[in-house]
Amino acid sequence: MKLRHRISAAASVALALWVAEPAAAHHSFAPYEPDVQFQLDGVVTKYQWLNPHVYIEMDVTDEHGETKHWLIEGANPGILNRVGWKWNMLAEGDRISVIVSPLRNGEPGALLKALRLEDGRIFSNGGPAGPARIPWDQPKEATP
Amino acid sequence: MSRLLVASPARRRARLVALVTACLTLAPPLAAQQSVKIMGINGSWERYPSISAGLGSETEHLPPRPPDPIPEPPLKPEYLAAWREARDRDRELTAQGVPPVSSGSACLPQGMPGMMMATFPMEILETPGQVTFIQEAFNQVRRVYLDEELVAPEDAEPRFSGHSVGRWEGDTLVVETVGVKDYARFQNTPHSMQMRIVERMRLVNEGDYLENVVTVTDPEYLTGPWTWTWMYKRWPGYKIQEYVCEDNRYAPDDQYQRLQLDKTE
Repeated sequence: MKLRHRISAAASVALALWVAEPAAAHHSFAPYEPDVQFQLDGVVTKYQWLNPHVYIEMDVTDEHGETKHWLIEGANPGILNRVGWKWNMLAEGDRISVIVSPLRNGEPGALLKALRLEDGRIFSNGGPAGPARIPWDQPKEATP
Repeated sequence: MSRLLVASPARRRARLVALVTACLTLAPPLAAQQSVKIMGINGSWERYPSISAGLGSETEHLPPRPPDPIPEPPLKPEYLAAWREARDRDRELTAQGVPPVSSGSACLPQGMPGMMMATFPMEILETPGQVTFIQEAFNQVRRVYLDEELVAPEDAEPRFSGHSVGRWEGDTLVVETVGVKDYARFQNTPHSMQMRIVERMRLVNEGDYLENVVTVTDPEYLTGPWTWTWMYKRWPGYKIQEYVCEDNRYAPDDQYQRLQLDKTE
């Protein structure tokens, strides 16, 4: 809720429809922490292959048995097709790992950097989202 | 009898003129106007150089030299200050993680001239009398009618892509555009309905690249022409994808993914 208000306030200040040189065709990835990346391991609860952005919802259970629901943002289907994804390569119930940058506001949303499927195949989220900068399967203390 | 069969030369001439006139009148009006020249630009194209992985083919790019960055718009001083202020504010908000709402985040198409940036790949179709540009981003379609009169700016119904006509100057396709909606802004640059966009397109580097020299003029907002070049590279075999931006997440509690135009709650 908080961020929506901040966005609305920003919108009323910046009335102009700014068409900056887009790194992505739809919206900026600026709401995500640019310098923080970590890995999440969990189970897909929803996979939306939609323009202008693809979303993965997943349940992540920590070492204390507590489950948190995350919303992971991807690039658009066009970009993802061009970097090797397929619209039907994920489904509810799949166990996946992702390297992500979280929202700055602390809510459980994150920008995808890399995706690892159950069979070990790894996919990027395309150029505009930026690359994964951490290795997979680091020791646990590296994740929040 | 013989007078009926053998007409005088003057009468024969008159009949011929009448016949030709009738043929021209009866012929479909478009057929007489259709340009038969074909540039050879059918197919898919990607922006050159590719700016980011996944936006293009990721194949090796060979020169021509990449175009220079687009210069700042030559706005009149009274508009330039506000433009720079908005740019700086946008950068600052973006750095803070709260980017301002853009036309793109509202799922509005880029329109002209931004759609010719080819953010995502584009397809060009050359058919008799028409060149059609299909942009993957936002499913944008733009039709350029060849050898037709351009509508007067004051009569042009405002559109995102405006109204475009084209003509050949040697091997260069010259396209003129007017009638772009005032809020379809490229790089946030304001414009009036007097804005005119001229594009000069020609094949370069043995036909593998298409150069598009864009010139924007607007007596109300600009001090002079605003010119830059876009370059496109052929992408044989690429099939343009669907992009329906409005097919979005509409979950009512989706507070952080869907940027909204100043929505009152």
